[in-house]
This record gives sequence, C-alpha cells and structure tokens, in this order.
Amino acid sequence: MRNKFQYFSVGLITTWLCIFGLLSFLVMVVMSFLQHDPDHIALWHFTLQNYEDLFDPIFFKIFIKSFYIAFMVTAACLLLGYPFAYIISRLPERLQNTALLLLLLPFWTSSVVRTYAMMSLLKTKGLLNTALLSLGLIHEPLQILFTNTAVAIGLIYNLLPFMILPIYVNLERFDISLIEAAKDLGAKYTTIFRKVIIPLSIPGIVGGCTLVFLPAMTLFFISDLLGGAKALLLGNLIEDQFLMANNWPRGAATSVLLTVIMAIGLLIYWFKSNKRINYDAAI
Amino acid sequence: MKKWVFMWLSLFFSVALADDNVVNVYAWSQEVSPKVVMQFQKDTGIKVNFSTFDSNEALYAKMKASKQTQYDVVEPSSYYISRMARENMIEKLDRSKLSNYGNLNPAFTHPDYDPTGEYSIPWVLGLTGIVVNRKYYPHDKLEKWTDLWSPKYRDSLLLLDDPREVFNIGLLTLGYSPNENNLQHLQQAYQNLVALLPNVRLYNSSSVPSLLIDEDVTIGMAWNADVYKASLQNPNIEFIYPKDKFVIWVDCFVVPTNAPHRENAYRFLNYVLQAKIAAMQVKETFYPTANLAARAYLPPEIANSKILSPSPEVLSQGYFQTDLNDNALDAISRYWQLLKLQ
Amino acid sequence: MMRPFRSFYLTLIYLFLYIPIGTLIVYSFNNATFSMLWHGFTLNWYRAVLQDSSLWLAVWHSFYLALAATTSALFIGTLAAISLYRYQFRGKNMLQGLLFVIIITPDIVMGIALLILFSLSGLALGFWSLYIAHVTFCIPFVVVIVYSRAKSIDPNIFAAASDLGASELQTFWHIIVPILLPALISGALLCFALSFDDIVISYFVSGPGFEILPIKIFGLARMGVNVELNALCSLLFGLTLILVCLSQWVTRKKKL
Repeated sequence: MRNKFQYFSVGLITTWLCIFGLLSFLVMVVMSFLQHDPDHIALWHFTLQNYEDLFDPIFFKIFIKSFYIAFMVTAACLLLGYPFAYIISRLPERLQNTALLLLLLPFWTSSVVRTYAMMSLLKTKGLLNTALLSLGLIHEPLQILFTNTAVAIGLIYNLLPFMILPIYVNLERFDISLIEAAKDLGAKYTTIFRKVIIPLSIPGIVGGCTLVFLPAMTLFFISDLLGGAKALLLGNLIEDQFLMANNWPRGAATSVLLTVIMAIGLLIYWFKSNKRINYDAAI
Repeated sequence: MKKWVFMWLSLFFSVALADDNVVNVYAWSQEVSPKVVMQFQKDTGIKVNFSTFDSNEALYAKMKASKQTQYDVVEPSSYYISRMARENMIEKLDRSKLSNYGNLNPAFTHPDYDPTGEYSIPWVLGLTGIVVNRKYYPHDKLEKWTDLWSPKYRDSLLLLDDPREVFNIGLLTLGYSPNENNLQHLQQAYQNLVALLPNVRLYNSSSVPSLLIDEDVTIGMAWNADVYKASLQNPNIEFIYPKDKFVIWVDCFVVPTNAPHRENAYRFLNYVLQAKIAAMQVKETFYPTANLAARAYLPPEIANSKILSPSPEVLSQGYFQTDLNDNALDAISRYWQLLKLQ
Repeated sequence: MMRPFRSFYLTLIYLFLYIPIGTLIVYSFNNATFSMLWHGFTLNWYRAVLQDSSLWLAVWHSFYLALAATTSALFIGTLAAISLYRYQFRGKNMLQGLLFVIIITPDIVMGIALLILFSLSGLALGFWSLYIAHVTFCIPFVVVIVYSRAKSIDPNIFAAASDLGASELQTFWHIIVPILLPALISGALLCFALSFDDIVISYFVSGPGFEILPIKIFGLARMGVNVELNALCSLLFGLTLILVCLSQWVTRKKKL
C-alpha cells in the first residue's frame, strides 16, 4: 500500500511536469533550431540562422535596450526598496506585519489592472499633470506616457515588492547584537551601515535584483500599454515573433537565449548566497 | 472532509463547458458594434464568442497557430483575402444561404482582391489621412503626408500600428503606388520611414479616438471614422485628405475552411447584411458601410459628413488597397519589425 | 533616531503604491466620460459594468478556470509534497530541481513553450490549454507551501498510526490532511490568486471560445482609458481586499 501511494503521487507529478514542463521546454529548444517557413509553423530542417539573426546588429540592439531598461529599473528598485526594507525590518513585529500587508495588498490585483492605473495617472490630462499644473510647478503638461520613462515607471511599480521582500527577509533575520557590538566599539552609524549591514544583506540584494531584472526584460504588456507599442523589451520581441511576424523559430531562439541569461544570473546568485534559494522570496 | 473533496471534483467534471449553439467571431477591434452582437444573440438565440485583434498580422498568425481552426467568422482586410484564399484558409461562400447579399453596393462586390466576390463580404471601409488638433497647431500648413516629416513634429506623431498603412505613406510620399510589389521601391520606402522615426511618438490603432480626445496625441495618421468619433467630443480635431494621395481600405467577413459552426456563421453573416443592422453598426461605430441599402436608415449628419463621406473629387485621389505578392509582404513584415526595433 | 524621516519615507513609498489605484477608484465614481476633472458623483459606470454580459462571462470563465486549476494543482502538489517528505526515492533531487526551475522560469518562456507544445500536438487553444498551463505553474507553489508545513509533523505519528492498524489511506485522510489543512488553505488561496491574475502565460495559450478576465481587461486597456474599465478595476480591487482579509483571518486563527 505504501508503495502504491508513493508510486501514484510521485508518478503523477513527475508525469505532469515532464510533459508540460520538461517536454514543452525541449520542444521549444528544438524549434529554435528549425527553419522559418511562412506557411507552416516551421520547416523540419536544422539551422543556426535564428541565433545568427539575434546577433544581427539590429536585433542585438533590442538586447542592449532591454538590458539597459532592466538595469535602470533594477537600480531604481534597489535604491527605493532597500531603505524601505531596512526601515520595516526595524519596526516592532506587529507593525512589521501590517507594513508588509500594506505593501503586498496592491499586488494581489492583476498586474494589468495596476499598469492600467498607471496609464491613467500619466496621461496628458491625467492626475499627475493636473496636479502639477494646478500647483503651478509646470506650465505645459508633461508628455510622459508612451516614452521609455513611462515603461520604466510601470516596471518599477510592478516589481518593487520583488526587491523589497528578499532584502527584508534577509535584514529581518540578522543578528541585532552585531550592530550593538559595533556601536560599543565606537563605530559611527554610517560606518556600521556601510561595513556591517550592507555586506550582510548582500544575498538579499542579489536575490531581489534577480527577481526584478528578469521580469523587467519580459513584461511585454507593460511596454505595450505604456510605451506606445514600440518594441522596447525582449518580451516584445518574443511576442511579436509569435503573434505578429509568425516566425516561431526565431521567437523560440529568443526565449532560449533569455533562459540562458536567467541560468547565468541564477548561478551567480547560487555562488553568492551559498545556500538554497528562499522559496518564499520567489513567491 | 472527504465528502467535500468529492463534491468539489464532481462539480468540476459535471459543469458542461461545451455549448454548441455558438458562433466564434474574430474581428477588428471597434469594427463590430457590441449592440449588433447583442441584437443578434437576442434574435437568433445563438451565442457569439466575440474576440478582437488589432492587426491583420495578428489575425493571420493566430489562424496559422492551430491546425484546426476555431473561428467561424473572421474579418481580415481586403489585401489578406487573396492570400488566405490561395492558402486554402477560407472557403467559398454559399450564396444561397445569404439572402441579403443583394443589399451590398455592387461597386464593392467584385474587387480585385476577390474578383468573383465568392470568398468575402465587404463589411466596413475607411480612408487613412492626417489628423491634427488645431488647438496645438493652429496655423500649420498640413496638406500632404510629406509635411509630417518636418522636424517641428519631433516625438509627437501617432502612426497606425499596422505595417501596410505605415508603408503606404512611405510609398506615397515617394510618388509610388501603395500597392507596390517592387522590392527596391519598398526598400526606399523603408529608408524614407526611418527618416520619419524621430517624429514618431507611438504606434496605435485600437485606441485612436480616446487618444485624440484626451489630447495624448495631437497629430499623426488616422482612419476617418476614428477621427469623426473624436471630433464629436473634441471640436479642435480636424481630418485632412492628403494631397499626395491616400488609401481606401475595405475590411471583409470571410469563413475559415472547416469552421466548426459553419451554419451559424452563415446565419451571422446574413443577419449583419440586413440594411437596418448595417445602419445600426454605422451609427454605433461610424465606419462607412459597403451596404448600399443601409444608407436609407442613416441620419443626415453621418450621411453628409465631410470626414466620413468625402466628395467624389476627393475620393478620386484615393487608391484602393490591393494584395501584394508574398515577397513584397515578407519584405514589409521584415522592415516593419526593424522600424519598431529602432 | 531619524524617526520622522523614516515615517516620511514609508509614506512616500506607500503613496507611490496606492495613488494610481486610489485615483482609479475615485474616478470610477466621476460623472464624466473623458475628463479627469470632477463632474459629480455617479454609479452609472458600475451599473454599466454590471450589465455587460460578456464581461461577466469572462469573470465566470476566470473563476471556473481558477477553481479547476487550484483543485487539480492542490491534489497533485499535496500528494507530491507528502511523498517528498515521507519517502526517499530515486530522482527525488531531480524532481525538486524541476519544481524549482518551473518557479523561476520567466512566464513568457513557459507561455510560448506550452503554445508550441499545444499547437504541435493539435490541442485546440481554449479551456484545456489554459487549464494545463495554470495547473503547471501552480503545482510548484503548492508543493513548497505544503512541504514546509509537513516538515513540522512528528514522524512518530505514522508509526503510531500503523501500530494502531490504520491503512495508508486512513492515515492520509485522518492524520495528514487535518494537520496540513492551514497549508492547504493558504496554498489554495495563492493558486487561486495566481491563476485569476495571470496574464503573460494565458495571453499565449488562450483561444477564442474561452475568454478570461485578465485577457479581456488587457484588450480593453489597449483601447484606451475609459471609465467603465475604472469601475471594473475598482471592483476587482475590492474583491482582492476581501480575499486577502479572509486569508489573514484564516492564518490568524491558525496561530491561536
């Protein structure tokens, strides 16, 4: 009986994940080596063309652009998120829970809803411009919507908690007596921050950056809505290959490349943190 | 506990998802009024699964994605019809099931994209021109597409999110026909459009009216019906028929080969061919109709609008958009991606 | 030390997070179609949303899908978590690795991988393709949550149960499930929320006959800002608020 239960439960999940996780991924990898054919999904003919295409200067540009945006967004999230995580990690426990709940509440609604909300805020006649105009801070409405800035703001808005949570988990765990010790030894507050707190929270920072950087390259619907349908992110390139250009092999190749980038980022994290990745942070 | 689990599972398996009396319609966003769909459901009892796309390319990709089509009625633009017919993606219509076919304007039933008219039913037509908000550009001389290349419009243009439309203006400003198969001319058009890029603020074709009304964009290219809709709420908005010619397009209903609910597809098509329904559609969406009989039911402000129904002299400056060969279409698709990447 | 600065900073971030949603809610009551200026209070937009039958069909589809995906993912994931906790077997590390990889795979990659698989195998895009995709991305989260709770079970309890003559199935129903109940509930809530909100994966694997809410909202948002959408989004936010409070209440009760 014990074996039956075990075989059934392990067999079930293994079958499911092997078919829909592993197999689908392998099919995608195979697809990325096939030849493009406008009339069918792909031609059964091995080629490296799709990868060569991606390193073509024009396609490569979108990698650079996407990397640049993702980098800026990650940096902004870190600058905004680190102090926030630090402050709440020093709050009394009850307040900590409330603060976290307040942080996560908006993120339980669909990200499309939140992006849409940002869209109506940034419009020419949106609240931001209305407020700034009536305060006399500007005389002409700011044209933010449909620029790279709008996409970056939308990404920061959607991804900030993914930066805050891992850092918070990390800061919250560490030993307060280290700070006391440093203080007793006469260290200034800034020195403590620089020499003790920051180095100890490196794993959290790296984890947060990974969780922000990857989606920042792929959340195509944010740049669709806020960026005026210009292809800005790798996600847009993939989306276009599948839903517009009908070039699945190239789209698959882009995804494979993206996965490789992800794997590299993950390996870095692995070496930095030297322990299993915190599952909660991934949620 | 156990009981609950079983109840849950039985609920899951017992709820019938399959509903056979349906018709799956896939159309351009904003080109089929929800009111028409609702009226059809009420009158026939057939449920409409209605979904929309923003570009012919998206429609084509979606239809190619699965071997067995799930759509019963789709609405490509004219120039995709010969391609779809060539690739056996759409079927010849059974005219005997379309008793209201005679309501159509004969000028549109034998077009060159479908010479016998047996694949397609022309539904809406439109013209692509220049739109400008006079509050922002009160005295600008805007008569031609080439005026949009002026450096003063840096970062402000709206372009339609549609490769053919954008290439049309690239070709027209060089003096070529928009129905150009010549690859060299297409390349010149691409270079020409690259020069326009610094002026482009956004690509959009599905929310043009609200963008214009809210003044999120104040100048660019647009379809006449969208501009008419916007001008009702924002009187500063003006539509211009470019002197260096413009394009007239037709979007048509077709039935995919092996449509799962073929009979319902015909009932839907015959229903929307009725004069009153076509008129209702125009009153809701403002897109001019190919349905001649519907004219009788249109209010004068729509029938006589300069934006919606230009004079014959103006119309004679328009090109009817036709099909391109595969090489030209592939070239446009490739150039289009490059434009968007920059 | 630095107290006022701290609360000022927290307030600033919270404002950044809440102003967009707040604006949306406030203007969903505004009696004007396009202006951001206040034109008086109205419930018209909510009435319009309530009367839009295609919208409610999408809500029902989303709800049904989330329910189906949650149930199945909970079933598969819980069994797997218990086996992972109780037994040693070959390939255990591989299974854990696979689960982890699925959690961190970018959504878009999973979406297109499944799209390719479905279209090559001839499965029509619709309810079943969405269902498979949603179950797949929910399973790992269930396993993680249930597994971490299962670790707190005293292994002796199984020996005791079998000494008393309980079959494996009886042990499962009468011992394991009740102990894991809080984890099952929070796992279910998480799956439901993930499934109900997912856009990226669903965008690729959805078909015409089965439109779900996030895709519908994305379509509407592409057509521009409009007040009806404001009302719909406000309603959704309210619903989320209720669900989150409910789950908080459940977890509070667990602690007592």
